[in-house]
Formats: sequence, structure tokens, C-alpha cells
Amino acid sequence: MSRLGNYLRDRTGLGTQAATISGGASFAYVFGWVLLFLLLTECVTGAALAAFYSPSTASAWASVAYIQDQASWGWLVRGLHHHGGGAIAIVSGLHLVQTAVFGAYKKPRELTWWIGLLLMGLILAWAVTGYVLRWDQAGYWANKVEVGIAAGTPIVGDKIRALALGGNEYGNLTLTRFYMLHVIALPALVALGVVAHLVLARRHGSTPLKTTTTTGPRWPDQTLRNALAMALVFGALLGYVVSQHGVELAAPADPSQSFDARPLWYFRWLYELRVLAGSFEKLAALAAPAVVGGILVALPIFDRGEDRSIRARRKFVIGTLALLGVIAALTLSSFIRDADNDEREDSMEKAEARALHARSLAAINGVPATGALDVFKTAPMWKARTLFEQLCKGCHTDGKDRLGPLIEPGHGDRAWLRAFLADPSGTAYWGHTLLAKDTAAMAPVELPAGDRDDLVEWLHAQSGANDVIPAKRDRGQTIFDKACDSCHSRQDGTAGTSAPSLFGLGSRDYYTSFIGNPKAATHMGDDKSEMPAFQKDLSLLDRDALAEYLVWLRTATKQDVDAIGPL
Amino acid sequence: MADREPDRRGFLKLATCAVGGGVGLVVVAPVLKLLDDPSGKITVTTPTEPIDLGAIDRFQIGAEPTKVEVIAPLVKDAWTAARNVVLGGAWIRRTSPEKIEVFSAVCPHLGCGVGWEGKQFGCPCHNSKFAVNGDVVTGPSKRGLDALPVQIKDGRLRVVWVSYKLDTDAKVLG
Repeated sequence: MSRLGNYLRDRTGLGTQAATISGGASFAYVFGWVLLFLLLTECVTGAALAAFYSPSTASAWASVAYIQDQASWGWLVRGLHHHGGGAIAIVSGLHLVQTAVFGAYKKPRELTWWIGLLLMGLILAWAVTGYVLRWDQAGYWANKVEVGIAAGTPIVGDKIRALALGGNEYGNLTLTRFYMLHVIALPALVALGVVAHLVLARRHGSTPLKTTTTTGPRWPDQTLRNALAMALVFGALLGYVVSQHGVELAAPADPSQSFDARPLWYFRWLYELRVLAGSFEKLAALAAPAVVGGILVALPIFDRGEDRSIRARRKFVIGTLALLGVIAALTLSSFIRDADNDEREDSMEKAEARALHARSLAAINGVPATGALDVFKTAPMWKARTLFEQLCKGCHTDGKDRLGPLIEPGHGDRAWLRAFLADPSGTAYWGHTLLAKDTAAMAPVELPAGDRDDLVEWLHAQSGANDVIPAKRDRGQTIFDKACDSCHSRQDGTAGTSAPSLFGLGSRDYYTSFIGNPKAATHMGDDKSEMPAFQKDLSLLDRDALAEYLVWLRTATKQDVDAIGPL
Repeated sequence: MADREPDRRGFLKLATCAVGGGVGLVVVAPVLKLLDDPSGKITVTTPTEPIDLGAIDRFQIGAEPTKVEVIAPLVKDAWTAARNVVLGGAWIRRTSPEKIEVFSAVCPHLGCGVGWEGKQFGCPCHNSKFAVNGDVVTGPSKRGLDALPVQIKDGRLRVVWVSYKLDTDAKVLG
């Protein structure tokens, strides 16, 4: 081991000089190292995510959902990557506060300070470029706002927008551009900045807390403190990520469905400032970062002199802390504002339900190659439920405008048939139709309970259901022939004398035919039906889909309907 | 005190390596686990049921082999579910009214696309030649063209798409 060590020392020159720290090792010096560690964590987790991510509008969301819900430990890596960014924002903030309060930016370390500020800006930009990549509602709409603000820059605004979006509108080029920035350009720039920052920090050494002549070794005394701090920060990060099961993923980006987006939490102070600025929002959003950045850049220029004691630099320390205090207060205020907003809470709950629905469909069915939003169409009977929503709901579900029989779970089952026979003009049945007011309306069927149940069994058997009791059905047919046959028919394609044929009642073919033309002689007959014929507007496939849905609804419960999720 | 100093430093060094190494492992473990996720997983599904290649009347007895695309109605590829995905090509040869041979166009050598060269099949990449019945004429391919499982039902030709291991003497499922 020592021969290898000697070899490496000899060839690389590393470790030949025992590095020392003026004043000895201290936990005060760990921040830079913790930041470096977090940045490396971002690189490592980012590399793994990049092995799964697909930067295209059709598949970006799908690939992130795959990482989150299907790839082993994907949620953990994604969570570490996302919240690691937040940890970097916190630790770099602390690093900055410490440097500012102790005047460590003073000569000869001004350049280190400025490079540090540049790094912070780059890291914030890094986070912005990452947020949009998931192409979900949250990232998409937050990015729209961010690009909108940047587009308000005087003179070059339009150019910035076009370059950011890769053209005139959000699309594939937007994602490939932000992806390039996020995984190539910004990592390279940050790496250069970090190297420069480190070289300068090494050259000038740590700023001693007190003026002292004693020194202590860097290795292992300081290194252990660095490692302990890293372990502490990473432990907290890991704990948070596990408690949150990674990071949320909203529903796929949907330009037609607005979303009350918020920027990443470390930009919330700017968001709040915009809200407060009212009609000056764009100015505030552009000017505030420039003002804060300008003040921080100017600190070493105005705060000169040898004395680094806080007492001697009171106005600078108080000024800097006040500035950061305002930023913290604005951040807090923004979160409080949202917490008090019930309307937002409601819309967020709905958005979350939609997100979970999309993710569960993606996990079960995969996301159609045609685009992430089409994942909703893979839901059971999506087509039929959409058509029902558009064409049937107005007349057939509860509401003041209902004109037809109620269609809800259990429609057409034995209990429904029994209740219908007892009161055909009841409110759930023909009650809302013109037919109910007609003298030709069907009268209640009065039969002994046993006979009635046999008739119900026969009617139920028409649907082709597989739970029919044959003996009851056959008795029911005899009763039909006695009690119903004078008006109805039970022959295929043959109308009754004054009422519909009940052949196949409640079967898929029956519904397909009925929806196509309720006015047909075998169904309601021209004069008795208010329901329009859909054979022109709906294809046979669409009608069949609706019929399938109605058949399913017969045995479904309210819970079943809820379980197949929203549209 | 002076005697204890090397002990203390030794302990600090050990502690540093332990803490640093421990944190490093905890960072790297989930990343490796995630990167390893696809191994042993079916990330791209291929239908196991036969795929329709059209009416058998399309293929004339004794004619030159015909190439068709084998198209899966639905393929799940990691996060995507795509319809009508081309899985590959197949060469069809009808030898009698009831007998149709279907060869995968994937060369059993290293997977290039095999073509019909008038009298025999040939692979453009490494120049393997195969007789009309699929047998190897000249190498480097170690085996003849892979015949795919065929089913003729209601006058239609259906075939199961199978990928075999490349460059082996016998057909082995890939």
C-alpha cells in the first residue's frame, strides 16, 4: 500500500505538502465541502436518471412516470436529485451568509466571492432547466411563467424566448434545448466555476475565525468534520426524500387545462414579490434578482479595510442580513398565502387525483406513443364514458334538465326491472318524458310477487346475462305471453302491436340498435320517442362502445364507477 | 500525550474513511440499483400469440420467396404502448397447398437482414448464403435460416415472431 502511495505521491505531487489550516480545523469550514458533495450527488443521480429519460413531448412525462413508479428505486433517485437541488439552495445560502457576515469576501478573496455568486446563479438556472423536463402540469406551467418573465427583458426578450423554446411555441425543441442546458452546458459551466472557486479558496486558505498564529492539519482533522457534515446533510436529505416518497409528479402537461403553478420553492420570494408588485410584476421579477445580485457583487467593493470584525462592519452585516431577511419573509409569506387559499387547495386536490389516475393508467397500460395526454384514453371504457358525458348525460342523469329515464349504476338489473314494472311512469323511468303524460303510457304491472319475479327473470334473461335461473325464466315467458304480449313482442325485428319488441332487452346489440334509432318501429316507434337517433352522428363502433358501457353499468356499483377514475 | 497523538490521528483517519465511504455507498447504491433495473426485465414486449400475415392466397405455390413485414398490433416498450409496430421481416415460401414456410429475415450469424438473390438467400453483411429451403450454403453462419412457427387458420397465414440467439449451431430462444 505504501509503495503504491509513494508512487502516486511521486507522480501526481498530491499529498506531498501537509496542508494546514490557520487556527485549526473547525466545523465553520465545512460548507464548501458539503456543497461539493451535494453537487457530486446531483451528477451521479442525474446520470442514472438520464439513462431513463426521454426528452420528447410525446414521451418525457411517460419516461419520468416510469422512473417514479416502475423502475426499481427510481423514485428514490429522482427524489434525491430533486430535493438535493433544494439542499444545495439551503447550504449555498448558509455558505453565502457566513462569508458575508464574517467579511470573508475581503481582499484578497474578492474573486472567490464573485465566482461563488456566479456559481449560485448558475445553480439556480440549473434548477429551472431541470424543472421543465418532467413535462408535467407543474413543470410545464412554471416554465411558461419563467420564460414569460425572461421574454419581458428589454430589447432581447423576444430573442431569449425564441432561443429558450427553440422556436415560436412549446414543443420538442423546447425539451431538447432545456435538456442540453441541464445535462451538458450548465454542468460544464458549474464544473469550471467550482474548479476556479476551489483553486482560489486553496490559494488563500480559509479565513480564520480569529487572528491567530497556530495552525492545524487539514487531514484528517478537517476532513473528518467535512465527512460528518456531509453525513448529517445527506441523512437529513435521505430522510426527507423517503418520507415524501421522492417527489410529486403531476398529470402530463396539458396546454388546454390550466394549472395554478408555483416555481420551485427557492424562487418563491420572487413569486411573492410579483404578486405584491401588482401591475409592476414583470419589472419586479426582472429587477429584484438584478438588485439582490448587484448588492452582493458590490459588497467587497464598498466594504474595504483590514478589519473583519462585525462591530467595525455593522452597516454591511446588518444590510446583508436585512436583505436575506426580506427574501426569507417573502418566501414565508408566499407559502402562507397559499395555505390560506381554499380555492387553490381544492384545485390542487383535483389536480393530484388526475395525476394519480394518469400515473396508474401509465403503469398498467403504458403511455400511447401518440402522446402522454392519451394515457387518459386508456382508461376502461374511456370512449363510451366520454360520449355519454357529451351526448347522454343531459337527459339521463339527475338534474333539473333531465328528459329521459335515469341511467346510473344498476340500470336494467333485476331490481330496476322490478321497480319499473311497479311504476313505469315513476320519476326514475318514464316520469320525465312526454310519454308518461300520454294516455298510451304503460300501466303498472300488477302480478303476484312470484309471477312478477319470474317475469323479471325472463326480462333479465333477454340481456344475455350469465346468471339466469332457467326455470324461472321459462315460467316468466309464459307470464309474458299472457300479460304483456298484447302490446309487446318478444320476436327479433318484430314490433309489438303498440309497444316495443323486448327481444334482447338490455343486451349489447339491443343498446347499439336502440341508440342508433330509438324511433324504429321495433323500439319506441316514431311518435313516442323524444330521444334523437344517433345512427348518423355516431359510428357503429361508438354506439357499440356505449352499449358495452351500459351493459357494464347494469352490474356496476357507485364504487365501481368511482374506481375506474375520472375521464 | 505525545505518545497518544498517532493513535488519535489513526482513529480520526479511520473515522473519516468510514463516514466518507459510508455516505458514498448510500449515494451510489440507489443509483446502481436504478441503472440495473432493466436487466432481466422484459422492457420491450413481443406478442406471444400468432401475428396475421394475410390470406394464404397471396402466396403462390412454387413462386420465389416473398418478403413481408411482421407487424405487432401492440408493443409495450418501457413507458410507451405503441400500435402496429414492425417487429421485423420474414420470407415466405409456399411449397404445397397446405405447407408454407416462414423464415425470419434476421441472419442467424450476427443479425443483419437477409435478402433474396434470385436463386438463394444472402446476407449483405458477411456474405452467408442460404438455399431456398433455408439451409446454409456457405458460412460464416453456423445454422440455416430460422423457421418461425406457422399457423394456417381460416385461409390466413399466421406466424409467431421469435428472436433466436445469434451465432449458435442450433436454434436457441434469445
